[in-house]
Amino acid sequence: MATRLTIIGAGPGGYVAAIQASRKGAQVTVIEEAEVGGTCLNWGCIPTKALIASADLLEQVRKAADFGIAVDGAVRYDLQRVRERKDKVVATQVKGIRALLKSWGVTLIPGRGSLLSEDVVRSVRKDGTTQDIRSDRIIIATGSRPARLSGFPFDNDKVMTSDDAVQLNSVPRSILIIGAGVIGCEFAFLYRSLGAEVTLTEMMPRALATEDEDVSAIIERELKKVKIKLIAGVQAVSVEQTPEGLMACRLSNGQDIRAEKILVSIGRTLNTDGLRLEDAGLTTGKRGEIPVNDRMETGVPGIYAIGDVTGTLMLAHVASHQGLVAAENALGGDARMDYASVPAGIFTRPEIGSVGLREHQAREKGMPVKTGRFPYRVLGKAHVMGEIAGMVKVIADAGTDRVLGVHICGAHASDLVHEGALAIRMGATAHQLGSMIHAHPTLAEGIQEAAQDVHGMAVHLPPPGT
Amino acid sequence: MNPDDLKYHREHAWVRVEGKNATIGITDYAQQQLGDVVYIDLPESGTEVDADSELTEIESTKATSPVISPISGSVGEVNEDLADSPEIINEDPYGNGWIAVISMSDPSEVNDLMSRDEYEKFLKEEEER
Repeated sequence: MATRLTIIGAGPGGYVAAIQASRKGAQVTVIEEAEVGGTCLNWGCIPTKALIASADLLEQVRKAADFGIAVDGAVRYDLQRVRERKDKVVATQVKGIRALLKSWGVTLIPGRGSLLSEDVVRSVRKDGTTQDIRSDRIIIATGSRPARLSGFPFDNDKVMTSDDAVQLNSVPRSILIIGAGVIGCEFAFLYRSLGAEVTLTEMMPRALATEDEDVSAIIERELKKVKIKLIAGVQAVSVEQTPEGLMACRLSNGQDIRAEKILVSIGRTLNTDGLRLEDAGLTTGKRGEIPVNDRMETGVPGIYAIGDVTGTLMLAHVASHQGLVAAENALGGDARMDYASVPAGIFTRPEIGSVGLREHQAREKGMPVKTGRFPYRVLGKAHVMGEIAGMVKVIADAGTDRVLGVHICGAHASDLVHEGALAIRMGATAHQLGSMIHAHPTLAEGIQEAAQDVHGMAVHLPPPGT
Repeated sequence: MNPDDLKYHREHAWVRVEGKNATIGITDYAQQQLGDVVYIDLPESGTEVDADSELTEIESTKATSPVISPISGSVGEVNEDLADSPEIINEDPYGNGWIAVISMSDPSEVNDLMSRDEYEKFLKEEEER
């Protein structure tokens, strides 16, 4: 008899696990409370990138004259059309995933899943009807939701989370974004392109504090260039509404910031509440995460957890890969997760693509490394495109020369970074990366030159100190 | 081309002294070397700066380069027009392309700077090197 696998959550972790398990012959049921594709497809990666695509085109058209293109009349945007396009992109993808799940014979149950025991999953529909599903294996893939600041009056409008902001119901004249991480920075550039005055605050000493310091420095300069005000090293203390209807936020440095709207992007809360983990013998870790081993199995044999809820890297593609690993193992395989080469994209302007070790991490670990850098503005292709801001940085082991990290801030960085990911995964050295012929004229030449610069051999850089 | 009422620094900055105040900018040679200026990180009013140290950075289509302060003091007025139109530095380096006014802490430092003729001779030597 086929293994009965039940998956709670149809986000990028859950639905991928479902397809993989079904492919391997399991009888798969997926319980989803909202919509297939999860946060990524419905409130995260895809809709925000659709909005940013509109903003990027707007910026391109604004630069049209530089390229010798005459655009008669004022360049403006139609917010409703921007939203409609975003919604259409999302709807197409949702439909695609639903069709794919159906084609693989996966049963999709709309409802909220919880554990009754280590082998029974209960699904509760909106109308209250329940269905208990006997399961040989279970995968928990319930994801996360935007974290909220206590004492802040979240109303989906004046005080928002990213779930509200992505709906883009209006563009305020001014907005305060609390938290200059990935989400905060992406929305900051988006709102700025659409004309809002943007103030961005960050608790850490720099924007995008988990990225390489050189990447943060470039983004901080680009924020300045487009006149987004960044206040780092502060916390938001309290908020109140002024008589004029503005939101006034008090910062820990005593400053008051007034804005029409506030977007809180301080991180994400894991969705473990209501799962009744204890009824299956599971306990959560310090941050509310479900601890798993590198096979994605929890402390209870036969129950797996994947994605944000495991408290590992909160990235859709990591969740998907964890889904593949969990599905494999749930059906008797022995697959393992390896996080050494996980690329990630950040869709600021310019973009960021990063993989592997950051220089400050090497310093903290006391690892001797060599670094190479190459600025975009030296690349012919960057000038052709009119996108000269940015840099490629390669970090290599000082002893073995193996590539440990590649960090790109610049146009198309999120696509370019995969060459670095492959180099890390294959154990390539900076010398090998730098001696591979790269096509001209492309932005990828920057990776070659940065790799060469690890040994001071970048062809298109002057001698050091000149 | 280079005005003779200014003083010059070997890092290609110029100074116009008016009492205790010194207006500073970069020289025509510097802007030519830089190419099209796309951004200047304007110093903040009140910032203390030492002579021969970095006042701010200029970004051009070719490079990001430091602007070295010829004199010590605190930054007063800043040319806010450069925030929106950094290309003024290319168009008018000695006029509308001024960067900041510095309230000098040691006006005698001016004596260490070059005259126009000395600066032009210095440039020639640099070129020949």
